[in-house]
Amino acid sequence: MANSHLKRSPIARAALLSEHRGVLATGVAAVLLVALAAGAYALHGTAGRGAPSALTLLLGATLGIVFERGRFCYFCILRDGIERRNSGPLYAILMALAVSTVGYALVLGVFLPNPFSGRLPAQAHIGPVSWALALGGFVFGLGMALSGACVSGHLYRLGEGSTRAPFALLGATVGLGLGLLSWNPLYSLTIADAPVLWLPAWLGYGGATLAQLALIGGLALLLLRGVPELPARPALRLTPATLRDALLRQRWHPLATGAVVGAIGVIAYLRIEPLGVTSQLGSLARTALDGTGLAPERLNGLDTLAGCATAVVTTITDNGLLIGGLVLGSLAAALAAGRFQPERPTWRGSLTALTGGVMQGWGALIALGCTVGTLLSGIASFAVSGWVFAATMLVGVWLGIRLQLPTWGE
Amino acid sequence: MKSMVSPHRLGALAVLIITAALVLAGCSAAQQPAAQQPAAQQPAAQQQPAASGPTLGARGFDKAVVSTEWLAENLNNPNVRIVEVSVVPGLYEKGHIPGAVNFVWHTDFVDTVSRDIVSPERFQELVRAAGISNDSTVVLYGDNNNWFAAWGAWVFLQYGANDVRLLDGSRAKWEAESRELAIVPPTPAAGTFTVAQRGNLRVKLPDVLQVVEGQQTKDLIDIRSPDEFSGKIFAPEGFPELAIRAGHIPGAVNIPWKQALNEDGTFKSVDELRALYAEKGIDGSTPVITYCRIGERASHTWFVLSQILGYDVALYDGSWTEWGNTVGVPIANPSGTVWGER
Repeated sequence: MANSHLKRSPIARAALLSEHRGVLATGVAAVLLVALAAGAYALHGTAGRGAPSALTLLLGATLGIVFERGRFCYFCILRDGIERRNSGPLYAILMALAVSTVGYALVLGVFLPNPFSGRLPAQAHIGPVSWALALGGFVFGLGMALSGACVSGHLYRLGEGSTRAPFALLGATVGLGLGLLSWNPLYSLTIADAPVLWLPAWLGYGGATLAQLALIGGLALLLLRGVPELPARPALRLTPATLRDALLRQRWHPLATGAVVGAIGVIAYLRIEPLGVTSQLGSLARTALDGTGLAPERLNGLDTLAGCATAVVTTITDNGLLIGGLVLGSLAAALAAGRFQPERPTWRGSLTALTGGVMQGWGALIALGCTVGTLLSGIASFAVSGWVFAATMLVGVWLGIRLQLPTWGE
Repeated sequence: MKSMVSPHRLGALAVLIITAALVLAGCSAAQQPAAQQPAAQQPAAQQQPAASGPTLGARGFDKAVVSTEWLAENLNNPNVRIVEVSVVPGLYEKGHIPGAVNFVWHTDFVDTVSRDIVSPERFQELVRAAGISNDSTVVLYGDNNNWFAAWGAWVFLQYGANDVRLLDGSRAKWEAESRELAIVPPTPAAGTFTVAQRGNLRVKLPDVLQVVEGQQTKDLIDIRSPDEFSGKIFAPEGFPELAIRAGHIPGAVNIPWKQALNEDGTFKSVDELRALYAEKGIDGSTPVITYCRIGERASHTWFVLSQILGYDVALYDGSWTEWGNTVGVPIANPSGTVWGER
């Protein structure tokens, strides 16, 4: 980036300085990555942790790098599509869904060979389909518009030095706590009796894969109109320098980003548990409430439903390692790309982030997950609940943009 | 944007990947149901023999317990069938001992409607689908120190299986030794197992009441923690199934289940086990009843006493959640803890 400015002498010194900073930042990024690897190695040898914890930390870090490099932020992607009529970045989400659909089909065929047995595959995020889920998705979408990103978006932006992200994540923890307080009435009212709809139970794995890929492919076809004209590209020889620029400096292509996100989702399900980013925050909220006597002592059905479950915990769960790795991975990627740019916090920005975070937290608890746990891991496992969440979240985001909620915090 | 691949090539690649995946998914979906059908076609156990049924042969450590080494050497032995009974979701799916079939405790070993063990019809169906016959050597293992695997062994023996063993050290030892795990479930040819009821391995509340009232002479072992036994607490933290009274069945002795195990989760030697129980007056000269809170941990002690030491033992699976909640039965509550008292 700085290279083109080098010839102009007034800027040359500043450019040189930023180059020095860049080297320093890349050094810090390298140290971070080594520290993450060392952390994984140490976890592997720790009693009660072992390989799953080590792998979780590494997957989290990889996810952080991919999210940052590909700017895999559901809200920004949707906003580009809705406000600027640019559907290009949306292909990252579609690609992630397509790849994880195929990958999950392969894994599910092993985990639960007979999809017609009346059982559901272990751990898969397949939730009850009720109006509470729809409401949760809608409120979550509004919260995204108000706070400028979803929970996973805020997590990776924390690594970019975002000063709104801490408020949004704090808000999300509070919101998850509010969700716990409203869980029991909603469970009795609708969630307990809601059907748990799983496509392979009707269509088999082949049919469900075909149906879902057709739907994703159809959406991809519809959105082609909104893909901007691609710039003419000169022929390029791959050298270490161009490779470095492609990996560390430029935004990754949406299709590459989506494919890696989808693959990580499949690996996580195969080896650990479906991806989700709200479980540790929800557990924090539940543990905090547990001491106060405010929380209901018994959360009916919550612990038996698959999804981003909460628990009373006193330690860092594997989910905590995942989101910790995500933030650190994103920080390393941002440092190497020169995108670690903390901005001065503003009252408006902080308050809207906090409020939007609270809305997302509440929605995520009621919907048993967020854009990662319920949307990505849900749709990947052929859950109708994943699609319902996606649709209602989209309505919330759309309405939020129409109401100009994103500008409140800017 | 220099790293972009042309859209055409990507499209072609996507089609290729998707096609390949569909073919693979189709194959894995097509393979599986075969194992389940033959069992379903067979009529379930028609004859329900008299309560006592076939007696248990002499057991002993070598016939009741297998080591991880033995199992590793017998993975391909056609007469050995391996059954995993774990309760942590996804544990079996993400890696099991090669050839092991999965039995789900909550639905495969218990009746989900009445509080009872699985019905003989359903059991026979499941066991045949698992490739098990009456002459098979059935090796069970699972998480939680084999608690649920021991329950499984108890059910297998009640329904007439002859050679039922537990993996010493449970799943944890197999994993700790970094032994081979598989993720693809086996598709065994259907077995021919026929249920024959063996009736003296289980007792119900009226039987235990007779012991308490002195009409029968039997030793009662409460295998819960000392604090549950004394009535200091109703149940350990995290266990939702409760009784509204604390304490134990009058006359029971307290020998926590875990005392039968070494530090590494393997069973203590026969001599050590015999001494452990003899110290509390359990020497096999009197028939024994074991119980716990919901019955699963007591099946572990039941296995030790009946299968390893060869004592005459029955499991009271109603356990404290039934006894402590039942109207009009006596309890012993040394701590005097009263439900709801402030």
